[in-house]
Amino acid sequence: MEISPTVFIVPTGIGCEVGGFAGDALPTAKLLASASGCLITHPNVMNGGTLSEKDKNIFYVEGYSLDRLAKGEIALKKVKQQKIGIIFDSAIESEILVRHLQVADACVSTLGINVHSYVVTKKPLNIVIDSDSSKMSGGIIENPDTLIDAGKCLLEKGVTAIAIVAKFPDDSDSSETNIYREGKGVDPISGVEAVISHLISKFLKVPCAHAPALNPIELNENLDPRAAAEEIGYTFLPSVLIGLSNAPNIVELPAENELISLHPDQIESIVVPNGALGGEAVLAGIEKGLNIISVKNQNTLKVTNEFYEYPNLFEVDNYLEAAGIIIAIKKGINLKSIKRPLKKIQECSYQINNME
Amino acid sequence: MKLSSVDFYLNWPVSIKLKNLRKFIIANLEKKGDVIRWSIVDIQDSIDSFGTKKLKIKAVLAN
Repeated sequence: MEISPTVFIVPTGIGCEVGGFAGDALPTAKLLASASGCLITHPNVMNGGTLSEKDKNIFYVEGYSLDRLAKGEIALKKVKQQKIGIIFDSAIESEILVRHLQVADACVSTLGINVHSYVVTKKPLNIVIDSDSSKMSGGIIENPDTLIDAGKCLLEKGVTAIAIVAKFPDDSDSSETNIYREGKGVDPISGVEAVISHLISKFLKVPCAHAPALNPIELNENLDPRAAAEEIGYTFLPSVLIGLSNAPNIVELPAENELISLHPDQIESIVVPNGALGGEAVLAGIEKGLNIISVKNQNTLKVTNEFYEYPNLFEVDNYLEAAGIIIAIKKGINLKSIKRPLKKIQECSYQINNME
Repeated sequence: MKLSSVDFYLNWPVSIKLKNLRKFIIANLEKKGDVIRWSIVDIQDSIDSFGTKKLKIKAVLAN
């Protein structure tokens, strides 16, 4: 089958109009996967709390590993099933922990996912959210070593992919949370979520994704539909387990005697919101001369091609248009042939070197 | 290991071509710690007569 491997990025925590909420870029991912035949995207795009979907044309790759793929450091290998282990932050209250364990059991019994075991961290992760998260959400965890130790324990038990559930501060009444739920702001916790999963990807090099543990919050009748997936049930774990259930294996390059499903050299395009051209995957794609498809998707950043003047960048108004460009690239159609006016081909002048 | 969240500014001289920008940033970030997450979050155009741009970078580093 003809494919045009495409990376689809919606950076976490910059308030993207499409994809800045709870899995609300998933329909777009399905569209781009259909157009390209092979889409590589990250959990922030695919995870809608309880809701998610598998798609045979989508590779589910955590952001740090996605950057490494774009840099050419790793390849991806399809698997039929991952053996998933879950790390629970020891700060999670017992009732919330039981809710999560029941969700994991449900994913085994109802969806046939292989959730193998879980571990509770020796110390609380201690989430610290950046106080200035109005423009871009960020923060850290105070005990990263305990997270990595817990992950190592799971890997020693034979686990091949890791879900992490961290306890986040109970700030359900905070103005940032309510603004986000009403579709107006930046997801205040997603920056720290990225740090947590990046740590596992960086130090343990396995597929992983994160779900926050939060206490139930008050009903909000002004809820934006894009944030509604997070109102279903008690946990956000199902989408993580669905995504990880057949996430591709990470293959370090150069790889000998290892079957590879997607080599980084096969990637042709990166789709990214306009204004968000400052991430590592995009800059790595520019190094390689890839097509960058910059889509109008309102967000808090203004890092645009005005500063780069990169010639292989296509600015489009929406993801429907991006899908059209991907199809044209896949079929080898000159994009200029589709647009009007159509210029005549140009004559080149040259000089003959006189060798005599 | 301790994590820290940092915002810092880096001048992008015209001598650094776009295709070398990522490695230029990483080389500067690695002086401060092991890089967990980073992104350019703002760019100021031509801050001097040489065409130098000023980058604002947000990063999480481990030390």
